[in-house]
Amino acid sequence: MRTLPPLILLLASLAGHAETPQQIGKIYATEAATQQAGFTPSAKRGEAFFRQRFAQNDKMPACTSCHTDNPLNAGQHAVTGKAIRPLAVAANGERFSDPAKVEKWFGRNCKEVVGRACTPGEKADFVAYMSEVR
Amino acid sequence: MQKILVWDLPVRLGHWLMVGGFALAWLTGDSETFRLVHVIAGATVLAVASFRLPWGFIGSRYARFVDFVRGPTRVRSYAMSLLKLQPEHHVGHNPAGGWAIVLLLGLGILTGLAGWAIYNDIGGHWLEELHEGLAAAMLTVVIVHVAGVVSGSLVHGENLVRAMVNGYKRGAPEAAIRSARPLAAGLLLGWVALACWWIAN
Repeated sequence: MRTLPPLILLLASLAGHAETPQQIGKIYATEAATQQAGFTPSAKRGEAFFRQRFAQNDKMPACTSCHTDNPLNAGQHAVTGKAIRPLAVAANGERFSDPAKVEKWFGRNCKEVVGRACTPGEKADFVAYMSEVR
Repeated sequence: MQKILVWDLPVRLGHWLMVGGFALAWLTGDSETFRLVHVIAGATVLAVASFRLPWGFIGSRYARFVDFVRGPTRVRSYAMSLLKLQPEHHVGHNPAGGWAIVLLLGLGILTGLAGWAIYNDIGGHWLEELHEGLAAAMLTVVIVHVAGVVSGSLVHGENLVRAMVNGYKRGAPEAAIRSARPLAAGLLLGWVALACWWIAN
């Protein structure tokens, strides 16, 4: 078992894009700052966004429709009933570690739940909340 | 030359189920709202393709792989004959169509299996990427296949889409298949229904 962590690191480096949630949050924050001078990510705004009822989609009116009110808990797909691993980094260390995956799922879920693309600021706030929530 | 029965019912039914399944799966690929529709559409493609493999050995004459899987030289000479507007006529699948079948069956099975694994939470992000890449490759083959069917139909003066619906093509009477194999078509429907039910649950 002692060989497992180095093995995981090796695999992560082979994948070539393993990052920390802080690095990924920073990418979005930097992008947001170019649109809005002095932008700083806020976990509190991220939480409000997570709980907001967008009501664009009957089956999934909010993030919480699938991810539950507590991102530390496992979620359940509102349509298929399949389990979804927790969004919070504290409960699921794999979250927000692959920039391509993060960007892909923001793209899909924002379009379907929020009804539009999320702004870099919203993404930075969301990543901040999910990284900090305990 | 007259109109003779060439395509059996499992071939035709399987073809159009695959068309519907792939189209629906492609359109619902980015949606969580239609996730179940996507899974059932993909299960249909997987079920049809997996049925078609044994059918390529025990099916009627023109459904068998030995009847239509040809080497690259034959594919090139067929493509050249189309370009020269002097097409070789094949009672069954032409060599280009034969490769479309092999590729679409292979890609349909791989894409479906990858999708099934993702739905059951095996694999992770890399498998999602693979699933999408395979589906995009499949769409590319579909586009080439459709272009080939349209140009082939025009050049041959024979509606190949209609042939895939009613099973009839031009040929000598002795080249016809004797039965449309309706029982096997029923089996195919049952297999598709079972696969959809099992995979979606």
